[in-house]
Amino acid sequence: MLSDITLGQFFPGNSPLHKLDPRMKIFLIILFIVTIFCASSLLSFCLVLGSAAFLTILSRIPLRQILKGLRPLFLIMLFTAILNIFWTSGENLLWQWGFVKIYAEGLWYALFMIVRVVTLIIGSSVLLTYTTSPIALTDGLERVLSPLRVLHLPVHEFSMMMTIALRFIPTLIQETDKIINAQKARGADFTSGSLFQRMHALVPVMVPLFVSAFHRADELAVAMECRCYHGGEGRTRMTQLHLSGRDYLFLFFMLALFALVLLCNSVSFW
Amino acid sequence: MGETVTGGKISLEHVTYKYSVGTPFEKTALDDVSLSFEGGIITGLMGHTGSGKSTIAQLLNGLLKPTSGTVRIDGKDIWEDPKKIREIRFRVGMVFQYPEYQLFEETVAKDIAYGPRNMGLEESEIEARVLDAARFTGLEAECLEKSPFQLSGGQKRRVAIAGIMAMRPEILVLDEPAAGLDPQGRREILGGIREYQRENGATVIIISHSMEDLAVYADKLMVINQGHLFRYGTSHEIFCHAEELKQVGLSRPQITKFMMELKREGLDAGEGIYTVGDAFEAVLRLFGGERSHAE
Ligand SMILES: Nc1ncnc2c1ncn2[C@@H]1O[C@H](COP(=O)(O)OP(=O)(O)OP(=O)(O)O)[C@@H](O)[C@H]1O
Ligand SMILES: [Mg+2]
Repeated sequence: MLSDITLGQFFPGNSPLHKLDPRMKIFLIILFIVTIFCASSLLSFCLVLGSAAFLTILSRIPLRQILKGLRPLFLIMLFTAILNIFWTSGENLLWQWGFVKIYAEGLWYALFMIVRVVTLIIGSSVLLTYTTSPIALTDGLERVLSPLRVLHLPVHEFSMMMTIALRFIPTLIQETDKIINAQKARGADFTSGSLFQRMHALVPVMVPLFVSAFHRADELAVAMECRCYHGGEGRTRMTQLHLSGRDYLFLFFMLALFALVLLCNSVSFW
Repeated sequence: MGETVTGGKISLEHVTYKYSVGTPFEKTALDDVSLSFEGGIITGLMGHTGSGKSTIAQLLNGLLKPTSGTVRIDGKDIWEDPKKIREIRFRVGMVFQYPEYQLFEETVAKDIAYGPRNMGLEESEIEARVLDAARFTGLEAECLEKSPFQLSGGQKRRVAIAGIMAMRPEILVLDEPAAGLDPQGRREILGGIREYQRENGATVIIISHSMEDLAVYADKLMVINQGHLFRYGTSHEIFCHAEELKQVGLSRPQITKFMMELKREGLDAGEGIYTVGDAFEAVLRLFGGERSHAE
């Protein structure tokens, strides 16, 4: 069923990662990505991998779920790893067959590349997408970006648009599901026929969907205006974000990781 | 408390249905339900909000596939050959809750013709069926050439119901066909459904929260409670158990309560009155002598 697609992949829960301030999470994830790309020695890669595992355990997201998130990237990783193995040249020739040469460096690069991608995805999904509700996320983004208001960028309006869009994605999916079912009940057939026929079969779904989306947007705008919504100026919030001890603890952890990785980079091993 | 009904035109056998299987939002809507709808009558399906009525409806025409258990029409498993499920949908017409949103064509007539056209019928046959369906639902001829988006909510509802009736399903399932309409609109739509049932000898299942409507238009009533069959019987058999109904979040028709009040006040017009028509008769009988004077 269409509605089984979890959007944004948010996984409701109560772990320490779920409770982090979204602003801090955005900052942490940037720091983590920088750290991943700074890592260049075996030891520092082990550190990065270890901390990604640690975060995963903390988040209490089932491992199955995380592996499912990695699956679509498996082919790309395999492909780039193979490219790396065969096309990197270095000093330690391991194996040669005609013009095909494999160097130790190539193997290492391939391995590092995989570790980088895997930690990047695990880190960002565990820190952000799996543990932050879309609403908290846009709220955090609005705050992080709020200094841009000085440049007259409509930060609040953008984040409001994003919040509304996110809020209505599940509704729209449900609605699509409902309309598809209603037309199926009238004998619509979306799965057979030529490409053109299939596109044509979608008309009975798209027309009602657009009609209701516009209708809904209209109603929402009126409802917001009835409650005196007039943009971000002078607007206070229902939930105030506060940085707690936990947030600083995670910040300390991430900074320490960054420093350690830089330190370990100089420890060479081959 | 639970009952089972077997045989019948269309039936669920030990059906369990779970939404969103394998996600954190998994939800069991029906749990080992067995029930059966008799052929050739109107069955009213009632139950409190979230009791699983809409889920049952969608299982009946193969829009949902049971997580376990079987759905049978005339004793035959509808999922025996999953490729033929489209034919099942032609045999079991389904009108959804608030079906107005399914309209999409340029004109009402074309929209009603969408289902029959999908069945691959001939143009002349389609035209005849459109007119037939419009008659059942009380749509005037001038309406047929309008755009469905110009119609009022109640008219849209009629068009949506006509769109299913035009397919002439032998089993017609309607989820809250009269919800949110004025009394006259309700009467016309439900009356049209009754006419359809009589003319085609169809099996009709009406889901409704309105005890009043069901008491008038349904031959048998089925009560669902929390995904289980709770009671099945004639309106008298169902409505005479006031306490039981209250337990499952339902109540007796207003007119029944009113007649009970009257009885308490000393005007006993008799028991077992579930429709306004019956009440009218009973009160007339009570004041039988005075009727002729009044006239
Ligand atoms: N798409 C869905 N995903 C998950 N759960 C659902 C979905 N649709 C219904 N449910 C759940 O299944 C149960 C039965 O729902 P159903 O729609 O069949 O109830 P209903 O009897 O038709 O209620 P109502 O009278 O309000 O229409 C409810 O508890 C509901 O929360
Ligand atoms: Mg329902």
